[in-house]
Amino acid sequence: MLNIKNLHASVEGEEILKGINLEIKAGEIHAIMGPNGSGKSTLSQVLAGSENFEVTEGEVTFNGENLLDLKTEERAREGVFLAFQYPVEIPGVSNLQFLRTAVNSMRGHRGEPEMNAAEFMKHAREVSIQVDLDPAFLKRGVNEGFSGGEKKRNEILQALLLQPKLAILDETDSGLDIDALHVVSDGVNALRAKDRAILMVTHYQRLLNHIVPDYVHVLADGKIVKSGGRELAYELEERGYGWLNVKDKEAEAS
Amino acid sequence: MKSAPTLSRVFLEPAGNYLPGPLLELRKQKGIALVDMPLPTRKTENWKYSVRHLKLSDELAVALPSRGKKGTSLSTAGYRVVFRNGVMVPEASDFPDLNGIRIQRFCDLDDHAAAALAERLNNTLNSQTVQMAQLNSARFEDGLFIQLDKETVLDQPLFIIHEVTASSVGSAYPRIYVDAARHSQMTLVEEYISSGSEPVMVNTVTEFVLAEGARITSVRLTLEGESVQHIGATGVRQATASRFESHCVGFGGPLRRHDLQLRLEGEGAECKLNGVVVTQGKQHYDNHTSIEHIAAHCNSEETYRNIAAGQSHAIFNGRIHIHQDAQKSNANMSNKNLLLSTGAEIDTKPELEIYADDVKCAHGATIGQLNKTSLFYLVSRGVGRREANTLLTIAFINELVEQIPVEAVREAVQLRLNDFFNQTFQVA
Repeated sequence: MLNIKNLHASVEGEEILKGINLEIKAGEIHAIMGPNGSGKSTLSQVLAGSENFEVTEGEVTFNGENLLDLKTEERAREGVFLAFQYPVEIPGVSNLQFLRTAVNSMRGHRGEPEMNAAEFMKHAREVSIQVDLDPAFLKRGVNEGFSGGEKKRNEILQALLLQPKLAILDETDSGLDIDALHVVSDGVNALRAKDRAILMVTHYQRLLNHIVPDYVHVLADGKIVKSGGRELAYELEERGYGWLNVKDKEAEAS
Repeated sequence: MKSAPTLSRVFLEPAGNYLPGPLLELRKQKGIALVDMPLPTRKTENWKYSVRHLKLSDELAVALPSRGKKGTSLSTAGYRVVFRNGVMVPEASDFPDLNGIRIQRFCDLDDHAAAALAERLNNTLNSQTVQMAQLNSARFEDGLFIQLDKETVLDQPLFIIHEVTASSVGSAYPRIYVDAARHSQMTLVEEYISSGSEPVMVNTVTEFVLAEGARITSVRLTLEGESVQHIGATGVRQATASRFESHCVGFGGPLRRHDLQLRLEGEGAECKLNGVVVTQGKQHYDNHTSIEHIAAHCNSEETYRNIAAGQSHAIFNGRIHIHQDAQKSNANMSNKNLLLSTGAEIDTKPELEIYADDVKCAHGATIGQLNKTSLFYLVSRGVGRREANTLLTIAFINELVEQIPVEAVREAVQLRLNDFFNQTFQVA
């Protein structure tokens, strides 16, 4: 489904990704772990099409198409979804209006009829209850005044509504208490399907207790330095990143 | 030295004599007073950004016919009075006889009532600062005189549709006077629209006088077409504990100018002024507001937002004058602006004059652009770029649009804003 070859990307002339190779097949769940500053979020943003980064080398194909040639909105319509590490607050645009516009853009792309306001409202209410978000939040501005946990649940709500082919979860577990972590994990697990792939980016292993990955990769200094099965996550949990000869900037700072 | 330009005398020749005697006389006197009136120049502070858009060719002086093709109005709900080219159209108007409210056209007043009205007109605006709108008093052909008796509450909004027919070159001078007695209440929606595409000027004056405890909500929509110069002034005087709420929504044009002047003359009077302006292409919009805190314990709350795209230009000039005796005044003014292109210009100028020492007075102005992170967030969900830009742009003013208290107007404005920005971002 997703094939990344020798991907290099930089921001303001500074190279962050230094040759990423990764293949993800439909139905698989991959976890990318690594210390802060290793390039995890950059990889997520580059795949989603952020204009803050410049791809300087390499290629990415998504279901056979050159992903890097597509604009952000085209990638989304082809089925790429990024759950943001820091979801954006947009006062003045109602969550409901935003979600319906997004869902109908996708439906239009697939040649399906638009959902009317009443149909959509009913569907959105159901899904918001599924992620334990009070449906009253649908009427508020996008993420406006949401707590950290509510924002993350709103991201999962969006994934469930948009039904992407590839869901990239960027530090979706950060800032969640244990109950919220359960809710979010249940949401992600509900996304599991044989025609869908999930790429989780995380600093900590704890999310992986709830969403068990098929493959784990360690990203350090812009490269994948080790790949393995789920047992690699446990090993990292016990031993940290040091044995891989990788610096953890956060650990150093603290 | 080149002499300063003055108003051409052809502008001081009214067309019809349908008004009752006292109002004809008032108009004549005003005309005499305006002979050789200096026109604003680039050195005239309150017109410096707009003077080059003021195009007063002699042919524009011709009064537009009082009959003409109908324009398209936004609004439907409530009582309705239609003015075409400044003259009331009774057959298009619809309002019931209600106890406690009289709605009369100037032309229908008897001499006694007209004399009383003539005494009262032109007492709300500062003639020094609304120089161009003064022309209205020398040229009005008709007008609407609204009187609310004490404690009368109008149960539905009154819509005044000001149509101008731009099928020939000329000008129109709509005039409204509202007299709200003690503790009366009403909502008035003024909607300015046009048909046709010849150059025309609308020069309009609306006056509100609020007695003790009166509450008026005014909605003013400037929606005329691309060939219309609009010069308008609204004057408000407020007695003790009265409240005036204003919602102005303006779409740009070759020249749009609105002066809104309030005098808080009785203790505990309060006003809330919301304004939204959107411009694109080469449009121009100039809002000047002035709030005089004359009595103590008055509150004013003012929020204006401008959005300018293309090579357009929007101006906000907000003056707050707190007089010496106006202790415990509370004044808040906020002006936020959004520039959608590098070619657009927005000028904002708060003017605070404070002569009392125990007051709270706050003001703030910002100018910004659309947030790229927000845009990325929206498009990353598959929302098209034009739609995302439109959503974010409307979000900037939505808070104010949401406050328009008449649902039919609010929804119509939202639709129109959506169309406006879809056009903006299609060009971009």
